[in-house]
Amino acid sequence: MAGLRRLVRLSVVAALAFGGTIAAHAAEPLRFNRDIRPILFDACVSCHGPDSASRQADLRLDQRDGAVERGAIVPGDADSSEMIRRILSEDESERMPPPEAKKTLTIEQIETLKRWVAEGAAYEPHWSFIPPARPTPPQVANSWWPRNEIDHFIAARLEKEKLTPAPEADRRALARRVSLDLTGLPPTAEQVQAFLDDPRAEAYERLVDQLLESPGWGEHRARTWLDVARYGDTHGIHFDNYREMWKYRDWVIDAFNRNLPYDRFTLLNLAGDLVPGATLDERTASGFNRCNITTNEGGAIDEEYAVLYTRDRTETTALAWMGLTVGCAVCHDHKFDPVSQREFYELAAFFNNTTQRPMDGNVKDTPPMIVVPSEEDRARWETLPAQIAKADSAISTTRDAARPHFEGWLAKANPSDAAAFTPSQPGDFVAPLDQPPAAEEQAPTTAVAVLGQSRSLALSPTTKWADGPYGIGQAAVIGATGALELLDAGAFERDQPFYVSAWIKLPAAGASGSIVARMNEGDKHRGWDVWVEGKRIGAHLIHAWPDNAVKVLTKAEAPTDKWLHLIVTYDGTSKSSGYQVWIDGKPAPLDAKNDALSETTLTEVPLKIGQRNGGGGATGVAVTDLRVSGGVLEEADIHRLAGAPLAASLRRNPADRTPAEVDALFEWWLTEFDNPHREAVTHLAALRAELEAIKSRSPITLVMQERETPATAFVLNRGEYDQRLDEVKPDVPAVLPPFDDDAPRNRLGFAQWLLRDDHPLTARVTVNRFWQEVFGTGLVSTAGDFGVSGQLPSHPELLDWLAVEFRESGWDVKRMYRLMVTSATYRQSATATAEKVSRDPDNRWLSRGPRRRMDAEMVRDHALATSGLLVKRVGGPSVRPYQPPGVWEAVAMPESDTRSYQQDEGEALYRRSLYTFWKRAAPPASMDVFNAPSRETCTVTRECTNTPLQALVTLNDPQFIEAARVLAQRALHEGGADDNAKLQWIAERVLARPLLEDEAIAVHKSLGPLLEHYGADVAAAKQLLAVGEAPVDESLPADKLAAWTLIASAIGNSDEALNK
Amino acid sequence: MAQAYQHDPADAALRQAVSRRHFLASGAHLLGAASLASLSGAGFASKALASAALPPSLTHHAPKAKNVIYLHMVGGPSQIDLYDYKPGMAEWFDKDLPESIRNGQRLTTMTSGQSRFPIAPSKYKFEQCGQSGMWVSELMPWMKKCVDDVAFVRSMHTDAINHEPAITLMQSGNQIPGRPCLGSWASYGLGSLNEDLPTFVVMVARSSNREQIQAISARLWSSGFLPGKHAGVSFRSAGDPILYINDPPGVSRGTRREMLDAVQALNASTWNQLGDPQTQTRVQQYELAYRMQASVPELTDLTSESASTYELYGEAAREPGTFANTALMARRMVERGVRFVQIYHNNWDTHSNVSGRLPDQCGDVDQSCYALIQDLKQRGLLDETLVIWGGEFGRTIYSQGGLSAENYGRDHHPRCFTMWMAGGGVKAGAIHGETDEFSYNITKDPVHVRDLHATVLNLLGFDHERFVYKRQGLDQKLTGVIPARIVPELIG
Repeated sequence: MAGLRRLVRLSVVAALAFGGTIAAHAAEPLRFNRDIRPILFDACVSCHGPDSASRQADLRLDQRDGAVERGAIVPGDADSSEMIRRILSEDESERMPPPEAKKTLTIEQIETLKRWVAEGAAYEPHWSFIPPARPTPPQVANSWWPRNEIDHFIAARLEKEKLTPAPEADRRALARRVSLDLTGLPPTAEQVQAFLDDPRAEAYERLVDQLLESPGWGEHRARTWLDVARYGDTHGIHFDNYREMWKYRDWVIDAFNRNLPYDRFTLLNLAGDLVPGATLDERTASGFNRCNITTNEGGAIDEEYAVLYTRDRTETTALAWMGLTVGCAVCHDHKFDPVSQREFYELAAFFNNTTQRPMDGNVKDTPPMIVVPSEEDRARWETLPAQIAKADSAISTTRDAARPHFEGWLAKANPSDAAAFTPSQPGDFVAPLDQPPAAEEQAPTTAVAVLGQSRSLALSPTTKWADGPYGIGQAAVIGATGALELLDAGAFERDQPFYVSAWIKLPAAGASGSIVARMNEGDKHRGWDVWVEGKRIGAHLIHAWPDNAVKVLTKAEAPTDKWLHLIVTYDGTSKSSGYQVWIDGKPAPLDAKNDALSETTLTEVPLKIGQRNGGGGATGVAVTDLRVSGGVLEEADIHRLAGAPLAASLRRNPADRTPAEVDALFEWWLTEFDNPHREAVTHLAALRAELEAIKSRSPITLVMQERETPATAFVLNRGEYDQRLDEVKPDVPAVLPPFDDDAPRNRLGFAQWLLRDDHPLTARVTVNRFWQEVFGTGLVSTAGDFGVSGQLPSHPELLDWLAVEFRESGWDVKRMYRLMVTSATYRQSATATAEKVSRDPDNRWLSRGPRRRMDAEMVRDHALATSGLLVKRVGGPSVRPYQPPGVWEAVAMPESDTRSYQQDEGEALYRRSLYTFWKRAAPPASMDVFNAPSRETCTVTRECTNTPLQALVTLNDPQFIEAARVLAQRALHEGGADDNAKLQWIAERVLARPLLEDEAIAVHKSLGPLLEHYGADVAAAKQLLAVGEAPVDESLPADKLAAWTLIASAIGNSDEALNK
Repeated sequence: MAQAYQHDPADAALRQAVSRRHFLASGAHLLGAASLASLSGAGFASKALASAALPPSLTHHAPKAKNVIYLHMVGGPSQIDLYDYKPGMAEWFDKDLPESIRNGQRLTTMTSGQSRFPIAPSKYKFEQCGQSGMWVSELMPWMKKCVDDVAFVRSMHTDAINHEPAITLMQSGNQIPGRPCLGSWASYGLGSLNEDLPTFVVMVARSSNREQIQAISARLWSSGFLPGKHAGVSFRSAGDPILYINDPPGVSRGTRREMLDAVQALNASTWNQLGDPQTQTRVQQYELAYRMQASVPELTDLTSESASTYELYGEAAREPGTFANTALMARRMVERGVRFVQIYHNNWDTHSNVSGRLPDQCGDVDQSCYALIQDLKQRGLLDETLVIWGGEFGRTIYSQGGLSAENYGRDHHPRCFTMWMAGGGVKAGAIHGETDEFSYNITKDPVHVRDLHATVLNLLGFDHERFVYKRQGLDQKLTGVIPARIVPELIG
């Protein structure tokens, strides 16, 4: 590889052949990159190439030195070259490629190889690894044609191919094309007219500048970047729950709109969290590396997914900035590109140092994340933490001051003070569980009270005991098997209020199971329970799980390894809203997981502590003073119920009180009797509440956060997460410029490395994607593969010129697009001649203007914009427009919070499509059909196919029918007097031009029968008009509006409307 | 990333067909409205037209199967309770699985923390059936009657231990999402038999018990790096069977035609002005859509099915969305030239309450599987239709959670499980592979997922090593880079 580095001073263009033709011209000398590399790399290099594991006979044919040294190639002498001899060998055991490889060389290919060896077997380094130098734009014969440098390169090639450029497109076509390319939206009729009326020489450039300044520019550019970033609104795997990430999307829009230089854009995407003094916005940008899909599947192994996420980030970054398919090196050295397996993991090490845990928790805010308050809230948000810290320390002060007063009170306290802790009702069923059975007991039991009657119940032998709350008394720890059970308590029907109270302590890892239940797992879980799910606490009330049941769960995780007093109440309404949970006397916000209960919850099975009937229990959870009772809990009792341990303490002989007990009593006394303390607590609570309020009204977004230890990674045998080989440090592949020794070995240093002046890939790969967006195909058609197996650039000099121009302009994105769309190349008419179609079917030489079916989002946005329905508000949470029922439901798990699609109303139906909620397990249905990616992995080139299913979308999707109807409504009002004027009014909006006479006649021919049809069947007309939520204009006759709706739809479904 | 430059045989066929029709239509117009209308007959009628335009098969050898119906049991059915008979386990009730059997193999994190691995023998009775002598559980009474039509593989094994990666591997040959699924490969290699219907259809059947539904995702029927049109088309039981297939209310067939004539008139003008071949494709695209709108209602209209059909499949087949209904639909699709039908049936993930759920699961599918095989046979379609049944992995012999003689749970088990295939050139009555007495490890004839894929491709006429799609310089295969093996014992 060192040899390659020495070559960097070579002009890349000198080393490059023009792409396009494959067969060698007999007259000109063979060129390695054009003629030989494709043959060698297809037939030979997977066994005789960079991949050391699969390399045969220790021979490499991708490097000249090795091949010559081993005699495979004798330059100038094909007959003595072993490679040629073996290719020609009649002996099957000798012949190359070997028959089992199932590759055969054609006679033509063999001749080419022979000729190349005979001509001296010259190799060339791969073009894309040589930094671009700025070529001089070639002189061309048609010197009047070029408008800027781009055109010199294009014209030179056209002259070589003896093709003439197409004439400039007319102004209307140009206005539509450039508006769609720059903003993703068609021009308004007024914009078109203004352009037509502008007599200035620079009229077109003025239009371009106007479009570049419109907010639609940033939205349109962001949309393609979001494909690269694999942005979505759900986690992607298993539950596929909501993930709150749209602030990142809005940051991208804003970045393009303020024309953030692409080097800064790169730096913030990759390392916004690591830039010195990172602001909230900069940290938001680092969400690029949080857009990958994640899981929380039960049973999944953390390390397996940690490895997958790192791999995804590495592959995405390599693809997005370097156009390299490094993923091939996960399991083995890359077959073609000079990226070894070790180098892959060195690259991966940059992305392997996050504080993020592999399981996403099925929550929207998987840490690390940040709260992003609105502009109005920012100031308070930033000052509150200091105020809270101050208020917190004020509490210590009041506490210290109060202690002597408390000591005085305690000295005089007597058992009657314990009454403060006695609830007004003892509860139907009380299990103190505060005393382990005597050691000698054969069948251990514990005492409980049922309706005031004392009873003795068998204890499970697996029950353990631990210290109780405040270190007062003991508590039972739920064991693995068996449970305390009795039949005559807790039989609650769904219309009956009841409550459960207990002191509990969760184990450090959380738990999963019932604390107390009267529930029959064998009968679709009929019954009720109080339940722990990880570190969240909740309850079930079930007739038949999961469809006829209520389930609630606390939004927040509860602390573990700490005593909590828990109260769960239920009001008998059969609704999730009938549940309330108090933890340590404070209400805990709940999520309703299921909320459809309509039949009985009574079950024959007994009440059980620590288990359901037939299922596992909340093993490891400690419980004491458990009470289960029918009826409504009085508010005053909420605090009293928690006080049982304190009451016990007050009744005790003062000499027997432990220091922990005294401290607990002090805490209680402070709240009850000490005014300064109460005020300090209230003040702190108010500040915290304010912080919480800001937090709850602010979006959050997922960000990157680096661990404090240096990054490393392991080389993994065959990419298997559990087969670690060497540990490696972050580094970059040797074929590329070296990593700067002074730069930090983290994502920030890596981003700076990508932006080095001598980096051969970053600028090229980026301008190529820009070109692809404007012209349909990149100068390198494989925008995601600039490696050896990718396609050669169609205009290598132009690509280099653009790359250098981009970098030297300060990575000015708008400037590059302006250059492209103001070129004569771009401004050509799209008219194709038979000759051009046959000689250059894909228009790679650009002898005509670009023409391509619009992307999914543009198709929908176009319909909304032309009808006037489009709501142009920028940014905000994702929206749910029309979607056929059942698309989410068919694939989602019942527990998923994106299981049912709830369509929005009003404005949300008419936002630009990049704001549509993207559920990755079921992408937006109408966009999916139009080749929108699933956003599960990085996509740099969208497919553009044409299938019948797409026609069905634009013909039948309510969004499109409604748009056609609204457009027709407007045409009937504003379009002019006669049919022709109305027709032209629609055409000017949809096609940016009036129809030709023939066209108008043909379309009008359909109008007659449609009017006749709906005139005879007004009911049908009304049915059609009822599609969509936009109000129907009742002042218009239904038959007329229906007929015109279909005419508007016809124009909107024409090839011209669907193309840009 | 898709590679637009790559030759796509099915595309070529369409292009050829389009240009020929264009040539025939010649003149200024692409296709006059009259001739368009003549193309718009109902589904069956246009089949001949479409197939006339099809290219010669791209297969490597004569295919045995022309169509595939793949019945995927999402969640992983318990082989121990259905097909892998282990009578010796009765004596092992609640005893620990010997360490020598588990042998340190990894477990899911759902049971890796269990202090014991107590054995849960199947509570279900087995019976030896048919000529083949296959042992079948009492939960599958209908399947007992047709074991001689079926080849059982009791020695399937997979690499993944959790649902998402396992189901992705089963469908696409790789645990990591993003690669084409089996149905897409079939669509890519074999092309369409009826342009008026999708080539590859996916149906998600509703399970009657919904205790432990697993996620399935549209990525399972994605075409990965193959062109997008090879992705599975979701066929739905409620609303439009294919998304947006129905015209909006108030738009009749005739109205639609009238409106489409206006569209095509505009397209003809665009073609005259610009000469872009894409415009021709657009014309064709809209006519295909129009014809598909006629074919789909004909397909989904079950009124033509006789009473004997419902005797065979059961009355549940009348109810849209049931497994029985999707099985019947699958037969109708295959009859009409749909190449690959994928059906998902959920809720087989029995971590607990096997006795409360497995009977429901089997009740959903048992009779329909039998019926489908018999129905295809009666119609002479079984020989050319490959039916595949199975989940993404098996279940453990040891119990997860509480164990009693009456009930138990089972965790995921990738090291052995049972699948079956019927028709399409499969050796009827075969019983392949054996597992140890614990149904834990394979003792004879292991079949990896990639071996199954190689075998299925073989039945479809492809050499799995040469059935490739070039991407990133490499020949991408369904069976991946680790050598796969065709299982000759399964081929009749």
